[in-house]
Amino acid sequence: MATLTPTPARTSSTPALRRPPSKRGQKALLLVALVIGAMFAGLPVLWMLASSFKANSEIFQSPPRLVTPGFSFDAYTSILTDPVKLRFFGNSYLVAGAVTLLTLLVAVLAAYAFSRYEFRGKKIINVVIVSVQAVPPITLLIPYFGLVVALRLYNTYPGLILTYMVFTLPYAIIMMTGYFNTLPRELDEAVKVDGAGPLTALWRILVPISVPGLVSVGVYTFMIAWNEFLFALTLTRTEDMRTVPIGIQLLMGQHSYNWNEMMAMSILGCIPVLILFLFFQRYFIGGMTAGAVKV
Amino acid sequence: MSNGARMRSLVTGRVAAIAGISALALTACGTGGGTGGSGGEDGDVVLEFAQWWEPELPDGEFRALIDQFEEENPGITVELLSGPYASTKEQVLAGAAAGTMSDVVGLDGAWVNDFAKQGAIADLSALMDEDGFDDSQLVSQVAVDGSTYMIPVVNFVYPMFTNDDLLSQAGVTAPPSTRTEFADAAQQITALGDNTYGWVLPLSLEAPNGVQNDVMSWVWASGGSMLDDGQPALTDNPDVESGVQFVADLWEDGVVAPGSFTMKEQDKVEEFTNGRVGMMIDSLAHVTTIQEANPDLQFSISAIPAEDGYTGERGIPYASWGIGVAENSEHKAEAMKLVEFLLSTETNTQLSSIANAFPGNTESVPDFVEDNELFATAFEIYQDGYPANEFTGLPVAEELMRQFGEQLQKTLNGDQSVDDLLTNAQQEWESEF
Amino acid sequence: MFTSHVEQKQQRDPVVAPVGPGRSGPDQAAPADRPPARPGWERLKRRLTPYGFLTPTGVLMAILMLTPIVMVIWYSLLDGVITNKDSQLVGFDNYAEVLTDPVFYTAVRNTLVFTVSSVVAHFGIGLGFAMLLNTPLLSNRTKAFFRVIYVLPWLFTVAIIAVLWRLLLNPNGVVNYLLGSVGITGGQTEWLADPSTALAAVTFINIWAGYPFFMISLLAGLQGIPRDLYEAARVDGATPFQQFRNVTLPQLRPIIISMALLDFIWTTQQFALIWMTTGGGPINATEMLSTFTYKLAFSRYEFSVASASAVIVLLLSMVLAFFYVRHQKARD
Repeated sequence: MATLTPTPARTSSTPALRRPPSKRGQKALLLVALVIGAMFAGLPVLWMLASSFKANSEIFQSPPRLVTPGFSFDAYTSILTDPVKLRFFGNSYLVAGAVTLLTLLVAVLAAYAFSRYEFRGKKIINVVIVSVQAVPPITLLIPYFGLVVALRLYNTYPGLILTYMVFTLPYAIIMMTGYFNTLPRELDEAVKVDGAGPLTALWRILVPISVPGLVSVGVYTFMIAWNEFLFALTLTRTEDMRTVPIGIQLLMGQHSYNWNEMMAMSILGCIPVLILFLFFQRYFIGGMTAGAVKV
Repeated sequence: MSNGARMRSLVTGRVAAIAGISALALTACGTGGGTGGSGGEDGDVVLEFAQWWEPELPDGEFRALIDQFEEENPGITVELLSGPYASTKEQVLAGAAAGTMSDVVGLDGAWVNDFAKQGAIADLSALMDEDGFDDSQLVSQVAVDGSTYMIPVVNFVYPMFTNDDLLSQAGVTAPPSTRTEFADAAQQITALGDNTYGWVLPLSLEAPNGVQNDVMSWVWASGGSMLDDGQPALTDNPDVESGVQFVADLWEDGVVAPGSFTMKEQDKVEEFTNGRVGMMIDSLAHVTTIQEANPDLQFSISAIPAEDGYTGERGIPYASWGIGVAENSEHKAEAMKLVEFLLSTETNTQLSSIANAFPGNTESVPDFVEDNELFATAFEIYQDGYPANEFTGLPVAEELMRQFGEQLQKTLNGDQSVDDLLTNAQQEWESEF
Repeated sequence: MFTSHVEQKQQRDPVVAPVGPGRSGPDQAAPADRPPARPGWERLKRRLTPYGFLTPTGVLMAILMLTPIVMVIWYSLLDGVITNKDSQLVGFDNYAEVLTDPVFYTAVRNTLVFTVSSVVAHFGIGLGFAMLLNTPLLSNRTKAFFRVIYVLPWLFTVAIIAVLWRLLLNPNGVVNYLLGSVGITGGQTEWLADPSTALAAVTFINIWAGYPFFMISLLAGLQGIPRDLYEAARVDGATPFQQFRNVTLPQLRPIIISMALLDFIWTTQQFALIWMTTGGGPINATEMLSTFTYKLAFSRYEFSVASASAVIVLLLSMVLAFFYVRHQKARD
């Protein structure tokens, strides 16, 4: 795909040979492809949903059935009536929300520097930002934990939030730098001619245009913070600080798993995220950037 | 200077240098609501107790026991910190390295040696002496280099479970008591077809305790030992060889349920509960789980079959909820009070009753022994034999199981003989001791 | 001359030309328009501005990322750190121990297979789904519906993904049941427990769990491609495939390269998914660098050796990152 083999000129001679399929045929083909894709993506999740309504004894039944006689909402009611578990959800939203906002804020500033300035050490900083992500977090656990305790961040929200920002910032910076690079410099320069500083150019021009990029980076950031387990467990101590992934793991007991509640908890966890996604996805819908960029 | 302290000074040194910047970073993010800190009211001692037991027990029951302790000991408050079992070890380790370990910690026998060597947990022998605690009432203690570091609070023994219906369908009249009987029964059950198997063997490398409970148990049940004077003795050891060979033969016969190499204890129970395997070696902790999940399932509990003709006492594997005290605790005396409370005859009776486990106090007799026939049988088996778990207290015990498990997988996969397995595992084990 | 036309177009149209840093940037262009008051101070300010923008990132990364990494590097030179009360400096002994362990090379090989297959499939599936979802043929509502379904695998924590797939791929699980009833397999395949299929199985799970990341970013990237490029291509009589190859792919290239690199790095350190499905087994079939390192640290208690292994991984990825940055520079 890297080599572009030049195609011979055949502007007017070939079209007759490749009769394009009719609009309706194309549409049918497309729908078939979409449905196959949806089965790949959705069937495992459907099984998760189905399992959340089963009795624990029915999870391993063979032959497997989607709906079983033990169908009930028990798993959901037991989660939704447990204030401890509800608190897990609250913590997760708080942490993931804060991480998303702060990451975007900090990353946009850094990406602006990378995209619009040439400065000493740029290359090194780039290499560092990309490669530090390669250290398996599990090996950092012990020194990191000591650091968090020393900074008095142990068992606090800022501790979790700053930790996740460390994980999400490199990606956010790299992606936002890429987005800014695709935006013409004439845009920010036009503002600067009017005497405004670089910050104004960034916030008034670049950021509004980059909303689709910000949303996709934001979604990613949110998901990382939402789903992280290891550090959430290590850096919190008390039950009132724990997040949903820990709540799910607490259902995996030493002797047996609470299958249906685990499934129900992850279904419940994903619903608000889905709603958030539905709300923001209009930014992916065609035309926004393409139109906006052409000033 | 302790290791934790050294590391902390290393960290603080570096932190001091960047203190100004870090303060800036923190204020930028606002200060959220962390609770932190363990200081209680004036003069009160707050004990942190990190364990995985609370979520395993019926809601609120463990807390109720602890409330009772607080009532009996005014001035001591206990904060229960519960975590998932599978991650407990990492948490204790990180806490120990940073000097923030909870005062009292729940322990598994497989971790004790490592934590003791790390200097994370305190010498309980000394603490018991100071306190004048009579340790003769303890069923067992886990010692490293002659000093106790963990006391099992309750024990879960692992007898053999048999599915009555499957056995009778296969024409087996009584649970097997010798290896030959077991192998025959397993074949007959497997012959029933319809994806039914005689035995189930969890060999997951993530949680390698199947090596202890489902493989070595065969050796212990016939009075064998995998150690010689505290050192690994896997080779030139007929007991170990015949036990492992027996497991390999069962595999060869095709009587073991599929999926072994990634199966965990929790999956094993599901296979049995769903009537797909006739026999398994499993924790008594599962009796109620199985009864609740499948009320129609008729099953019995008996001793793990021994070598043909063996008449001696049978070792029965067990897993414990052990307890230890953090070396860095500032309230060791109070921590010891909590330990003693949990091991007192009365509390221990209550705890073992709600946990469906056997008590760590010799005087305690849990309720279920009288109420429940299965448990009564199990208690008899337990008292007829002796608790056997040679992995407890060994260095890197979990890794030993994992190394053995991996070699066993190779053998079962047809890559090497049982002799090779034992030679290789022996070599690997020796390098860890 | 379809290709060349597009290239010309790109040159003419600054909107899509990836503007490299340092070329006609504001730092060079802007001052000319301003009154040159106190030129020394202005220049200093200009030179410091990018650092100002980078300060929050720098502070955070220096304290919370570099400090622990430096400590890990330090650990890797000590002997029996954490577990020993007085550990000695032993130089590169720990590195020698890692590099002489045959399992390390198995782990490297598995990690490579796992990572390369995952990244390629993430990209392929992500791009395919993004293109399907970007079609003008379907109504927005239909597309919104499929978008939500396609993003689903991304919404779950690794622990649940592992548990779910263990259930699905169980010998008595639903996958075997379906395949068995259609007659494709015998009905009780041990997908995860058989050494010959385990690596493929965990890779498949990782592909399923990770493609939405590519899909979302590519979907956003597709929106940024100017319509007139396609129009120009159509005028030149390009087939849809040619449009894809000569417009779509080159336009998405910066995003694809960045994401492929990041995904590569992330996938190499994927730990929880493998640990919770196979534990690195059966035998060594799914042993990765991450599980290898984990076992060194938390099972064998060799934190120094584990640190050495982590540092080796870090060095390998620094090489990768270096090429990436150089590639970016070359493109500019």
